[in-house]
This record gives sequence, C-alpha cells and structure tokens, in this order.
Amino acid sequence: MAQELETDVVVVAAGLSGLAASIAAAEGGARVITLEKASNTGGAANMGMGPCAAGSPVQRASMIEVTPGELFRRHMFYTHYQVDPRLVRAYYFKSGDTIKWLQDMGVVFNSVRPAFRARERTRAYADGEYTWHVVQPEDGSEPGPRAATTMIKRMTERANDLGVEFMFECPGKKLLVNDEGAVCGVVATNKDGEEVTISCQEVIVATGGFGNNAKMIHDKIGLDWGKNLYSFAVPGMDGDGYNMCHEVGAGHTPVTMEMMYQLPDNMNHFYVEGAFRQPCYWCDKTGERFMPEDDIFNTTFVGNAINHLPGKVAFSIFDSKMLRHWKKDGPDIVSHVHPHDLYQGFDEQWQRDLDTYMDGAGNHVIAQADTLEELAEKIGIDPEGLVQNVEQYNEMCAEGYDELFEKEREFMMPLEEGPFYVCRQYVGAYGTLGGVLINHNMEVMTDDYKVIDGLYCVGTDACTIYGDSYNYSIPGNTMGFCLNSGRIAGENAAERVAESAGDEDWD
Amino acid sequence: MKLTIDGTEVEAREGTSVLDAALDAGVFIPHICKHPDLEAVGGCRLCSIVVDGEGPAVPACKTPVREGMVVDSHAKAAEDVRRTAMELILATHPSDCTGCPKYGVCELQSMYQYLGVSPARWRCRARTVATDDSNPLITHMFTRCIRCGRCVRACRELRGVGVLDYQRTPEGIRIGIDGGVSLEEAGCRFCGACVEVCPTGSIVDTLGLAKEGRSREDNVVPCRSGCPAHIDIPRYLRHVKNGEWEKATAVVRERVPFPETLGSICTHNCQGECKRNHLEGPLSICRLKRAAAVRDTGEWRRRTRHDAPTGKRVAILGAGPAGLTAAYYLAEKGHHVVVFEAEQKAGGQLRYGIPAYRLPDEVLDREIQAILDVTQGDDAEPRVEIRCGERVRDPKALKSEFDAVLVSVGTFDGTVLPTPGHELEGVIRNTDFLKAARKGEPMDVRGRVVVLGGGNVAYDCARTAVRLGATSVDVCCLEAEAVMTSTPEEREEAAEEGVTLHDAYAFTSIDESADRPGHVGAMTVHKIAKFYFDEQHRPVTELVEGGELTIPADYVIFAVGQKPEDTRDMGLELTHGPYVVADAEHRTSEDGVFAAGDAVTGTKSVIGAIEGGRESAQAIDRFLGGDGDISEVLLDADAPVQRIGKVPAGFYDGPTEPKMEPAQERKADFRPYECPFSESEAEHEASRCLQCDLRLTLTRPRLWNEY
Repeated sequence: MAQELETDVVVVAAGLSGLAASIAAAEGGARVITLEKASNTGGAANMGMGPCAAGSPVQRASMIEVTPGELFRRHMFYTHYQVDPRLVRAYYFKSGDTIKWLQDMGVVFNSVRPAFRARERTRAYADGEYTWHVVQPEDGSEPGPRAATTMIKRMTERANDLGVEFMFECPGKKLLVNDEGAVCGVVATNKDGEEVTISCQEVIVATGGFGNNAKMIHDKIGLDWGKNLYSFAVPGMDGDGYNMCHEVGAGHTPVTMEMMYQLPDNMNHFYVEGAFRQPCYWCDKTGERFMPEDDIFNTTFVGNAINHLPGKVAFSIFDSKMLRHWKKDGPDIVSHVHPHDLYQGFDEQWQRDLDTYMDGAGNHVIAQADTLEELAEKIGIDPEGLVQNVEQYNEMCAEGYDELFEKEREFMMPLEEGPFYVCRQYVGAYGTLGGVLINHNMEVMTDDYKVIDGLYCVGTDACTIYGDSYNYSIPGNTMGFCLNSGRIAGENAAERVAESAGDEDWD
Repeated sequence: MKLTIDGTEVEAREGTSVLDAALDAGVFIPHICKHPDLEAVGGCRLCSIVVDGEGPAVPACKTPVREGMVVDSHAKAAEDVRRTAMELILATHPSDCTGCPKYGVCELQSMYQYLGVSPARWRCRARTVATDDSNPLITHMFTRCIRCGRCVRACRELRGVGVLDYQRTPEGIRIGIDGGVSLEEAGCRFCGACVEVCPTGSIVDTLGLAKEGRSREDNVVPCRSGCPAHIDIPRYLRHVKNGEWEKATAVVRERVPFPETLGSICTHNCQGECKRNHLEGPLSICRLKRAAAVRDTGEWRRRTRHDAPTGKRVAILGAGPAGLTAAYYLAEKGHHVVVFEAEQKAGGQLRYGIPAYRLPDEVLDREIQAILDVTQGDDAEPRVEIRCGERVRDPKALKSEFDAVLVSVGTFDGTVLPTPGHELEGVIRNTDFLKAARKGEPMDVRGRVVVLGGGNVAYDCARTAVRLGATSVDVCCLEAEAVMTSTPEEREEAAEEGVTLHDAYAFTSIDESADRPGHVGAMTVHKIAKFYFDEQHRPVTELVEGGELTIPADYVIFAVGQKPEDTRDMGLELTHGPYVVADAEHRTSEDGVFAAGDAVTGTKSVIGAIEGGRESAQAIDRFLGGDGDISEVLLDADAPVQRIGKVPAGFYDGPTEPKMEPAQERKADFRPYECPFSESEAEHEASRCLQCDLRLTLTRPRLWNEY
C-alpha cells in the first residue's frame, strides 16, 4: 500500500552534496528526510580523496596562502568567464568555512595538495593549486584512493545524530507541485516497489547526473557509451534528478562531461592500461603524433585531444627496449591509480588479453607485432603513415630534439626494436555535469530565470562551473562544488522553513 | 544472560555468538564473511574483539556469549587485527569501483566506508581474473572476489548443491567450479543464493537480466511480476512438484477464480519471463496450472473470505472474465451482485470467442458454477445473480437500483477493413464466425477460406474453419512471422492441421467471383518488403515489386481486431472511438459507474481482464465504504525447503510436452485435443522450476549506517 509522509525538507539522494544539504538543513532546525537509491551513502564520492577549498584552517596551518578571491579569478580565467560568476563566487567563498564545518564533525584532513606539479615549461598553464584537502583515513594511515569514505562516514553519523531520516533503496521519482507552481513534495518508490509520497516545504535534488544512462549521454552529449566513450558509469547515476527537475519546468544549461581517457572494462585490464600511459609514441589512426607525449599524464588534455581525433581514438606504441627500461627502472610517469608493480604484472596480463581483448565496437584493443607495418595492420592504423612518421620521429630521437612538439628530450626514445606493442586509447569521462539551471542560492530557475519556489538543485546535476573541461588546476573541485552547493542549499531551505513557521504563528 | 559489549549491556540467549548478540542489540561490530543465514567461520577477522580485557583478539562470530563477559571491539589488539585484515582484503580488490554493478549496494564498500581505506602499507597486487559470462543467468567477476567464502557456504551448506569451492591456482586461492566446467556441467540449480550472499560484485545476475523500473523482488521472480494477476507461481509449482494438487490450486485461487480456464487458454506472459528461457526453455507454467486444477478437490472452498452481507448492491454489465471476477470478489466482500449478460450464457469471450477445442463448455460451466456456489456459501440467497439475455444499454439508469455499476462488456464488434470488395457476400467477421460456431449454429464455410490477421483470434478462426469442413484455409497477415502476436505453438499446430500461412502481405483486394456475382471469388495480397512506423507514428508499407499473390477463396474472414459494442450510447466518456475512459481506480466519467476489461483496455488477454476485474472490485468496495481488501488466504503459509539438494535427473531437460491428438483426428471435431499432464509429467515438469523466489527468503545483512 502507498505510504504517505510529511516533513520540512526532502533531500533526493545521499551522495556528498545530498549529505551536506541534509546536515545543513537539519542544523538549521528543519526536519529532513533523505531518499537514497543505493543502500550506502556517499554515492560517487566514495571513490574520491577529498574536496577543494580556499582559505581553510588546514591551508592556513600549512602556510598555504590561497584566498577565495584568488581562486575565483583563476577559475574565471580558466573558463574565460563562460560560467556563472556568482555561482563560482558562492562556492569558493563558502569553501574555507566548509572545511572547518567538516572538522567540527570529526573529519580529519591529512594535508592540502595539488593534483600534480607540472614541468617547468608548462607550469603557467597546467600547474595545480594547493586546494585538494585530502581526507585522513579512519585508521591513521597514509591516504590513497577512496580516502574520502571516512568523510562520508563522519557526515552520515552527523546526519543520523541530527535526526535526518534516511530512506535507503528508495529513489525519488517525481516532484509534486502545488497550485501556485511551488514544489511541495516528492514521490519515491521504496524497496518493495511501493510508492511513497512525502509532502514537504523544500526539496533539494542531488542525484549526481546521468553518467550511467547511455541513452541520455547519446541524446544530450552525442557520444556512444561502449563505442566511442568509456566513461565511469556509476550505477544509480541515471539522470533521475535532471528529469524530475525538468518535468516541473526547470531551466536548461549545457551538459558536459569531464573528459579524460580510459580503456574498456579497465579494471580487468589494469596492467595493460597502466603500462601504456607513458611518454612513448602516441598517434592517431593515420600514424601522426598529436601532442608532446610528456603531457600524457594530464588526463584532461589527453581526453580532450582524443575526442577531436578522427574516430575519437588514439594509439599508444612502445617497443621492446622501452619495455625493458620500464621493467628495470619503473615507469617514467607514475600514476596513483594504477598498480605499483605495473611491469611485473604486465607480461601475464598481456598474454591473456592479446587475442581476446575487444572494445564495444568489435576492435582489438591491443596488438603485438615484429614490424611496425604488421602492428599497424593489426590494430587499424594506416601502415604507410605510421612507418613514415616513426621514421621521422626516430631521426628526431637521434638528434635529441623534437621538431614537432618540443617534447622533453629525456623521453625521446626511438621505436626500433621489435616486437612492438600497441594499445588503443579511448575517450573517458567521470560523469555528467550540469543540466539544471540554478542561481547562487542553489534555487532552481526556469529558462526565464524565474525561481521555482521550494526547489533546489545541487552537486553535479547543477554543476555548470567548469565550462568545457575538468579544472585540474584547482583540484578537488567536483567534491568541493558538491559539498558547498549542498550546504548552501540546506542552509537556505532551513531558513525558509523557519521563516514560514514564523508566519503560521502570526496567523 | 547478560554481557557488556563496547560499554553497552546486552542480553542474549545461550549459544548465541557475541557478533549476533551485538548486532541484535544494535551494537555494530564490523564483519563480512559472516552472513546472517550462514554458519560463522571466523575467516575475515573483521569482527575481532578482546574479551575481558585480556588475551589475543578473537573473532566475535566464533565466540559464544558468556554470563558477565565484557567485550571490547575497539581494544588495540582487536583494532590491529581488523586493520590488517581489511588491508589484506583491499590489497587484492580493485581500487576503482566505478564500473562495478554493485556500486552503492556493496557490503565491502559499506565496510571500507566504516573502517577507512588504507592500502599504503602493502604492495598491492590486483589479481585480475577474466570475467566469465559464459554461463546463463550468473556472471562471475572474480577480480572483485575477496574470498569470504559466503557463496561456497551458501551453495554447499544452505542449498546442499555444492557447485562452488575454493580453487588452488598458480596466482593463489580463488573461488571457482571444480574442474573449471560450466555451471550446468557442475550441477548448478541456478537458485541464485550465491548471487544473493556475495558481499561484492563478484557473483552477479547477468547484466541486462534486471529490468529498469521493476522492483528488486519483481526482477528476482520475473514470472510472478509478469503475470498481470501476480499469481505466486513458484509457490504453486512447488506444490505441483510434490503432487499437492489442492494446495497448488489454492495458491492460484488466491488470485484468480478461473484456474482451469487459465490453465487451458492463458497467454502465459509468465513463461516469457521465466529465467529458464536462458537455459533450455521455460517452465510450462500454464499447463501445470491446468494439471493441478483438473485434480483439485475443492478443499480451498472452506477458507474463502465470505464477509458478512453489507446490504449494498452492484450491477455488472457483461459476464466475461472481468465481470465474473469482479462479481466473485464483490460478493465475497458481502455485496449483492447482479450480472447482466446479453448472450444466452455467461462467459463472454471465454464462451463465445475462444473455440471449444481450446476451452470446452464443461470447464467454463464448472468454474462459473463454483463462483455462484462459493459466493452463496451457507447463505439462504445467492449473492451473485447472472441474468442472461439481458442487454443493458444505459448503465446510468441502473444507479437508481444499485449502489455501483461496473461496465465490463468486452469487445464483440469485429473490425472489417475497407479493403475493396469487403461488402461482398462471403466476407465474415471474426466475432460472428466464432460466436456462431460456439452457439452450435456454425456458419457454412465448406469451401476455400482465407483468414486475414495474425493474432491468436485469426488462428482460432482458421482452425475453427478447418473443423467446419473448409477445403483449404490460408492465413494472411501484415506482420512477418517473427513479430506475429499469435503464439508459435498455435501456428505450428494449425500448420499440422493444414493451415497455410502467408506472412508479411498487404491486403490488396477481395475479388468478386466470376461464376457467382456478388460473392467472394479470391483474395489478392501483396508481399511487403518493409513495414514500419514513421516519425509521426504512421504505418508505412513498402511492397515487393511483382509480389502480388491471388488466393482463390469462397470465404474471407476478417480477424484484424475487435472493439466494444453498445458503449457509444452509454453516456460515458469514450476514447479512441468506442473505448470507455476509466482512471487508475476504474472510475468512469459518471460517479458510481466503473469500467474494466477489454472495453477499457482494448482486446488484451483473459488474465488481463481478470486482473481488471480484481482491481475494479477493490475500487468498488472502497467506493461502497469497504477497505478494498479482497485478499484470501486459502491455504496455510509454508516455508519453502532451503536445502534443495543436488540436481535431480532431467533437471536440464527441455519443457515436457503434453500428449496431443494427432492432427488428422483432432481436426475432425471440436473436442479438446491436448491432454492435461499426467501426474508424473506434471511433477517432473514442475521440478524444473529454478525456485527463483528462494533468494528472497534470505536475510539481507544490515549495513553499518542502518544501526
């Protein structure tokens, strides 16, 4: 039988932004019900390491001077003012205090870091700021991937302490609107498939985009998941909030994906993926190089570059000598994602995958051959083009100078000694960003910029602040925006609830 | 006895483990290899505790409670063991969860959220194991396996099947099947217990099996959710397997009052959903329902609802499956029901649309009589009156006499397309043709017959024509055979009886006979190259050049659809022509007048109409002041056997085929030609059921955030 509930604020989804919204609203005195499709809190944030902030106590204690205004400018220059400055401002100017807010909940930050330090000659364009507040894991050990789960735990505990009522495996399905056009409730489906109707005063939608919805990705972004796109598809990120908000007249913004690069089913081919992320020889299907390979550690640059190559595919090639060098000396570029023993595990994985590793379009992902012609033939590069280009490249290696791109000379290793190894490289992405138009209070607006009463949208459903690319130079940005947009919406929602409670007293 | 766990005083029964005692009392101690339904093995060491402040850390799951004991799960020794244990688990588990289907509902994810992730102290070595999707229904992604062994224990101890085990490989211990054979070769019963207990995404339902927008329960037991009336199919199949015919029928009867009828003619959407489709073919669910129903002794009758009379009166228009079902449940809720039926006998399409060789009068008479008998029970007066031969044209007028009215008049107006020649003599409507045959006044079709249409009704017409002595019968339809709505069995049996199919043909013209002016002489059709709907949803046919075909014919029967009669003048809001508009509560535009069945939905299925009857009965009961609860409990609750044991002989056989009259004999008359399953056939067929619902009886572990 259908269930009917009543509360002040409903938060749709308990990812990072939903948790922040729930806590902030409950701290403001509102009664909060938080719907969650999964049985865990945290959503995609369980994968992360920590949020971005400016002017935080952690930064100050580390003598890192990064003011909100400075970051605001850097962000707006990076995006060429293509994004809403008030929204960006609201986020950065809140972010330092949000770190303190989290510390008060018991979250410990290990350190503030940049994502990576760029080499000297690209530093002005590609360097990272010290904004990444990496969470200290529960047991005091050194943080690695997924360190942010400890922050999720603290926030979940805090929400529970404040009386936030979580409803797990109970996704929000529909927003209810009253006669005045204000949002006044949510319809959800509980784990038994029964409908739950919750009437409330304020709704905060925080469902995390539609990275798991291939059809929406195709329709709204124009990429084909599993064919020319291998992005993160976190189960549950199906566009629920996007659709719910638009059903009640929310305005539209462009939807983007933060491009990077990835292999199909990469978890099962991790050694292969890691082994080819090196500054060896990278080319398109004609055999021509497309960037100085010393930049391939910048996943944003490479993802964007591949997206513009013919067929949206690149090829990474090395020879036997390079493989020997990496086996002996370790990789030239170390990633904190891939296994430490990359090249020890390589041969075994390579042999297993060689004939069986296919992409969604039916191409071999990897190949090996004794000559470059044969290699090109096998993997789908123009053989003549490859041989010609490699010849020129090898000459440049001998000269010690890359005439084409001025690639760092220490990586100018020729492709000489067979067998040669090749791997296709595909466009990847984290998830989707944006789609729902909001103002700097996180209130949802129509296409005419009129606020829809009672409705907020936060986190990646509403994150339009990146423009076209992931802002790697201000690391921690995705989590940072989720946290702060959620917190701001929660505060505003609670304030409105308190105001209207006052009204009733007067009536 | 009383003990203290992490500072909380806890009460527990003797023999309980400390872990269970803590969890029962709401004190969370991390754990992952322990599942509520499985024996503890103390393998993962996450539940480490220190007892009475001394000694080494011990696993709480293997430590029995003792009076007065003081348990500390946060003692340093316990935390150290737990931390190392978690690090070892995560060291070989992929660090990136984003591609995992279990993301968000993963117990390991919940556990690392609780304990924190600290991989740094170990040289991580991801053990990639190729994903094995070669088996039906179950996919193994052992790269994600943490070797907790829950699947092994579930398969071996809980189910008594023993297919999964630890395997020693050069890369280390992992879970697998002895000998590396397929699940079927190993004797898997595909019960899904391993999937259910796996705390990570290592053993999962094959991707794509679960339909979006369907609840977990419905995805796990798709047959039950596929049945419009949600009959508890796995439950009655278990009774059939045990030869418990009364119990099986009682389960069916808890949802529908027509078990044998449905067992004979149901469109069995359930079978299309059956997970066995991914193995050797679905269970013959429909035939098993019949096998039980023909052996039923009516024990269920003692336990029907039979609420006290309410004094309210309901009129129902049409004694078809929707109307009679509504009548049954409304009467059982205590209302007095009068069913007005335009024809001479009750049954609607069951009587006048479905040929007798599929559903003989006796079966229908028996089940209708049961409705009348059961609803009367020990009352002096019957609660359901069926007034045959009374066609009601104005349902609103009945409101003066009745508290509520239900319009369930079905679709008895066969469609004739405006094909050139459709007014010629010898052109027949499906509805008229089938009704006449069923009334014992069959039309004379001794000649060459062409049936237009590709659904089951077209085949009912074709096979009726065969039995009435047609010299030839050809079926022509627009659809290609692969997308025809008639069932493949229906087409196959008809072909055996001499019916020729011309699929993917457009109807060009019905041609006048040269010898008999004004009479049909032939049917001309044209082969279709392509049939599709354009962007405006208009049908488009592209014809094959020179693909014209003229079939000599004396009779042309239109079987291209049917719609409601009489509804146009009822004063109710209509849609798409003559269909009655009814909302989710089955209310029409007129207060107190409800509608259900084909007259609302268009020609669908008997089981769909029955569900319409059920729903409208609930809505009408609520309208009359009742609670709308029409459920009946016709047999005691039973707990299914968890330990299903090794595969029985024949478990991987295809569906059991019933005995049938040979085509030459059955085409001579209208007697039913398909025998019900014998007892042994039924028991064997039912034993093929995978019992997908067993999975739902397993306990779902509570995660830390639920404590």
